[in-house]
Amino acid sequence: MLDILKKTLKTGSQTTKYPQIPDFAPAGFRGKPELFADRCTYCGECVTACPPGVICLSEKNGDKVLTLSYCGCIFCGRCEEVCPYGAIKLTEEYELASKTKDDLITSIRRKL
Amino acid sequence: MKTEYIDAIKKEFGNSILKESVSDNETYLTIKKETIVKLCDYIYSHLDLPLVLVFATDERKTDGVFKIHYVFSIDKDDAFIILNINIDEKTPVFNSITPKIAAANWYEREIQDMFGLRPAGHPDPRRLVHFEDMPAGVYPLRKDFDIRTKPPRVEGEYVYRRVEGEGVYEIPVGPVHAGVIEPGHFRFSVAGEPIINLEIRHFYTHKGVEKLFENMSMDKAVFLAERVSGDNSVAHAVAFCQAVENIAGIDIPPRAKHIRTILLELERVYNHLGDIAGIATDVAFAMGAAHANKLKEEVLQLNEKVTGSRLLRGMNAIGGVRRDIGDKKEGILLELSDVQHDFRELIEYLMSIPSLVDRIETTGRIYNDTAKGLHVVGPAARASGIDRDMRRDHPYASYRDFNFKVPLHKAGDVLARTVVRADEVCESIGIIEQALWSLPEGDIRIKSSQIPDGFSLGYTEAPRGETLYWVMTENNRIKRCKVRDPSFCNWLAIEYAVLDNIVPDFPIINKSLSLSYSGNDM
Repeated sequence: MLDILKKTLKTGSQTTKYPQIPDFAPAGFRGKPELFADRCTYCGECVTACPPGVICLSEKNGDKVLTLSYCGCIFCGRCEEVCPYGAIKLTEEYELASKTKDDLITSIRRKL
Repeated sequence: MKTEYIDAIKKEFGNSILKESVSDNETYLTIKKETIVKLCDYIYSHLDLPLVLVFATDERKTDGVFKIHYVFSIDKDDAFIILNINIDEKTPVFNSITPKIAAANWYEREIQDMFGLRPAGHPDPRRLVHFEDMPAGVYPLRKDFDIRTKPPRVEGEYVYRRVEGEGVYEIPVGPVHAGVIEPGHFRFSVAGEPIINLEIRHFYTHKGVEKLFENMSMDKAVFLAERVSGDNSVAHAVAFCQAVENIAGIDIPPRAKHIRTILLELERVYNHLGDIAGIATDVAFAMGAAHANKLKEEVLQLNEKVTGSRLLRGMNAIGGVRRDIGDKKEGILLELSDVQHDFRELIEYLMSIPSLVDRIETTGRIYNDTAKGLHVVGPAARASGIDRDMRRDHPYASYRDFNFKVPLHKAGDVLARTVVRADEVCESIGIIEQALWSLPEGDIRIKSSQIPDGFSLGYTEAPRGETLYWVMTENNRIKRCKVRDPSFCNWLAIEYAVLDNIVPDFPIINKSLSLSYSGNDM
């Protein structure tokens, strides 16, 4: 009994105040991938490389559209690895929960 | 690989061998279909080699036959013997070896469900992977089965083994359990408190992983392998990569080998800490569980700092690793020395608590002959006196370069399994330290775009035990990938471990075996 008390006092409180105090992921964390419209050439390298196939290239109303869904993303970073222009990057953001599936889809477009 | 075992087989069964080929440490022998039972029995009983894997391949397109492969491990010589028999499509029957080698039980039933090849003489020919609502004649791993097929559901019934008699009751548990765990059905027969029979039923979450592997490119398949069993992702990914690297003859850079070893051991440390926490939880010793979980969380956060993923994912690739961890050396060493200090103190403390030790001592015994007969692997086997460890017997990555002990205990109870894990945590931390101190300079990956056609085994010692991959490539893609998670071997042991124990001890026994549903169901 005394041992339990001693160990408990020595260890102290381990829980953090998250989410009142934000918790930052360490550098190099594999989080939410982001697309950069100004660098993307719509070459489709990331589309071929993506293991779960959540990056899609399509044409809509004369625009080239690149869509990425966070629903099926496994945060492997293959897209970042194969992109020749640095137009897709994993970020340190991890709070991705949302109320609708549409919120989990991001896209960039460019006139043909 | 020269080994006296092959000579012994040739001497006894020379007439039955149709073809022989050797690649690296694997000897492939094609055997006449009729003699397979005798030969397997000879290798298993007389030469005393364990049967580690049985699987089938559909090679009707190239060779006009199905093939069944039997993999035996020669631990002493770091070699494997792989027997195979040809089975004609018109007579899809083969002689079951299960009456001689109990460890073949589930493999043969799996082959029956997935390939439609019937093991004649199997003592329990019920379906294993397929449920009763699957129509007859649907064999998903045959090459002519399209992956998009949705078979209609049909009426059917699954017959459980019954124990009957006065005062015998059945307690069905699952497949839906309390808490966030995966599904599995447990049917206990009890007379009073003690369990007199347990039948398990699994494969509720069968995902068709082996079918998904087919035609996949190597790069993508690594990530699928990584997700076969969530908390053993490094072990699976490395086993897969090693199989492919073996086929392509790639010798990965020494620095990559060291990094892989470090990742594999970090995985073992956090898994074992989690299991020890689970055992403390299941005996209602919340304080011990909280402290063990705290240590596990520290290692998970270390994983995140080192690899960017708490479960160490996304690190492995064909030809090496994707990120260097050399700059994190000091951080890892510092954190692990803290963890080791706290862990030693915690284990000493846990083992001094009578309410914990009394509860787990002699509980859930797996006797040595049972463990051997079922081919139990990993810490569960080493707690039952089976001295096997892939890291020592079939060294891969850079395990050859390090000193480590393989803890061995004989009691076979929950206590022994807990102590084996505790000892392994300390050994693992020792291996990581050695690897970090001797981290070689150089590249971390050899890029390879073309993988030749071929086949090979890949293996690792996962936290749960030996994990095997057998990969066959064709046109730079996967033709067949057989995955054998340690849980596929160990699940049946629980039917024996619980006998004569009381129902309330089932959760501890289950936890002490640390079985994966995902890796088993696949």
